[in-house]
Amino acid sequence: MADATTRVSTDELRGLLDDPRLQLVDVRPIDAYNGWRLRGEARGGHIGGARTLPAKWADYVDWIEIVRAKGIDPGRPLVVYGYDSEDTGRVAELFGRAGYGDVRTYHEFVDGWCADATLPMDRLPRYTQLVSPGWLKQLLTTGTAPEYSGDRFVLCHAHYRNRGDYEKGHIPGAVDLDTNFLESPETWNRRSPAELEKVLEALGIAEDTTVVLYGRFSFPDNLDPYPGSAAGHLGAFRCAFIMLYAGVKDVRILNGGLQSWLDAGFEVTTDEGARHPVEEFGAQVPGAPELAVDLPEAKAILASDDANLVSVRSWPEYIGEVSGYNYIEKKGRIPGSVYGDCGSDAYHMENYRNLDHTTREYHEIEASWRRVGVTPDKHNAFYCGTGWRGSEAFFNAWLLGWPRVSVYDGGWFEWSNDPGNPIETGVPDPDPRTGATAV
Amino acid sequence: MSSGERISPAAVQDEIIAEMSGLEDWLAKYEYLVARGRELRTPGDGIRTEENAIAGCQSSVWIRAELRDGRVRLAADSDAMITRGIIALLLRVLDGRAPGVVAGTELYFLDRTGLRTHLSPARANGLAAMVRKIRTYAEEWT
Repeated sequence: MADATTRVSTDELRGLLDDPRLQLVDVRPIDAYNGWRLRGEARGGHIGGARTLPAKWADYVDWIEIVRAKGIDPGRPLVVYGYDSEDTGRVAELFGRAGYGDVRTYHEFVDGWCADATLPMDRLPRYTQLVSPGWLKQLLTTGTAPEYSGDRFVLCHAHYRNRGDYEKGHIPGAVDLDTNFLESPETWNRRSPAELEKVLEALGIAEDTTVVLYGRFSFPDNLDPYPGSAAGHLGAFRCAFIMLYAGVKDVRILNGGLQSWLDAGFEVTTDEGARHPVEEFGAQVPGAPELAVDLPEAKAILASDDANLVSVRSWPEYIGEVSGYNYIEKKGRIPGSVYGDCGSDAYHMENYRNLDHTTREYHEIEASWRRVGVTPDKHNAFYCGTGWRGSEAFFNAWLLGWPRVSVYDGGWFEWSNDPGNPIETGVPDPDPRTGATAV
Repeated sequence: MSSGERISPAAVQDEIIAEMSGLEDWLAKYEYLVARGRELRTPGDGIRTEENAIAGCQSSVWIRAELRDGRVRLAADSDAMITRGIIALLLRVLDGRAPGVVAGTELYFLDRTGLRTHLSPARANGLAAMVRKIRTYAEEWT
């Protein structure tokens, strides 16, 4: 497709960055935006201030709704850039057809921008822990990959009591990881250190093993007896948190889970992945106890002005309309908890994900947290009902490199089980969704 | 053909496929869906209940199915225009049919128009949930 838009040079773009009305759109894969150098560019990441809008999304019929949801304004100037002219031109033309009046393109990102260390770039601090399907494919087929220096890795297909999900098709070489291996089915908290050590050893995971986790999103339905069984990728984040807590040094998530692997056109298999147990985990478990917070610490956080207990729950749960779970009776929130809006219900994380299940642009997540006072200078402990959603939010904060982040493991399940703990319901004042105070 | 009968679900699906095949690209198809969404008549009588809600859709969706005179009568609502458009197409094919027809109709237009594969995955999952809900009702009445 011919690119009919005006092209800007590196010098021109450098000048345009001073215009506060300028909007920059990066159409490369989101993993490149986060920091991976997919074309061997001198510096990884994106132009400072750019928004991610991968060209892949231009094939979605609802592309323009994604654009609108990101707040990309048709009334302001727009510069689109990518790795190659075809993707850049295609997306720029779509913008033009959708009524965006001032759309320009930039075609010197790799050779012009990345190569000049004086030009501003930004990247997700721990981008290496959020991997692309191409990276994983390379690791699986060659045993090596960029930003991997280990000599041993384990790939885990996470699910909750749903081995059929694994048997239906998994990434070749992946082992079956039921979240129940790592979580107690009584409390839904992490298992004891001794149990974790044993399970990890059986999975072939030592403290210096690289672990890559993913799951399948297969439309959890709250009316199912076990909705979590369909929220496999959410389960992967839960397992990632527990492994980090246990002391595994290199824990990574496949960005977008199985969906990304399939979108990349890679095959799945029904052949069982071989486990290669290790003799010793190799370090004291837990290796990072500070990542988990229990009830006494949660209460201390509530009393502190230097910490947040972040409720990664849906609005109906937060205001006490629903408990969110078929096995939790009480409705409401922990008084003083901050609203960390997960999305629609206990098994969905729409506000932390893109529509293809990749992790949402980290600037957007940071901005939504900032609005409710969740900032990196504080200790932020994330919780939900039993820890899954809290773990995904935690993982996002950890990817950002925030120094004091943890999961309040017991969550609403533990808090509401003790009749001595206070419960709040209704819309708080001010309303955390808008900041508005009741009149 | 009696007054209560209409063209077959397959014929309706073929009509939709023909209408969409003439559209240049996905932006044009989006506009087609939005236009269908605007045409969707939604009941004003409290359809937005928890019972009618489709859980976990990217946008809020409510679908109500009733059995009247041996036919499945469907009503739906959503704030998102594209979702309304998809619902409008589903209703065009399935509304007013016998339960056995609703339960047994293969919705091949979703594949042949490319809608199933060209919806973003989260919305495609929502579409699957809508279809599942309609079929569940129809199967109960079959």
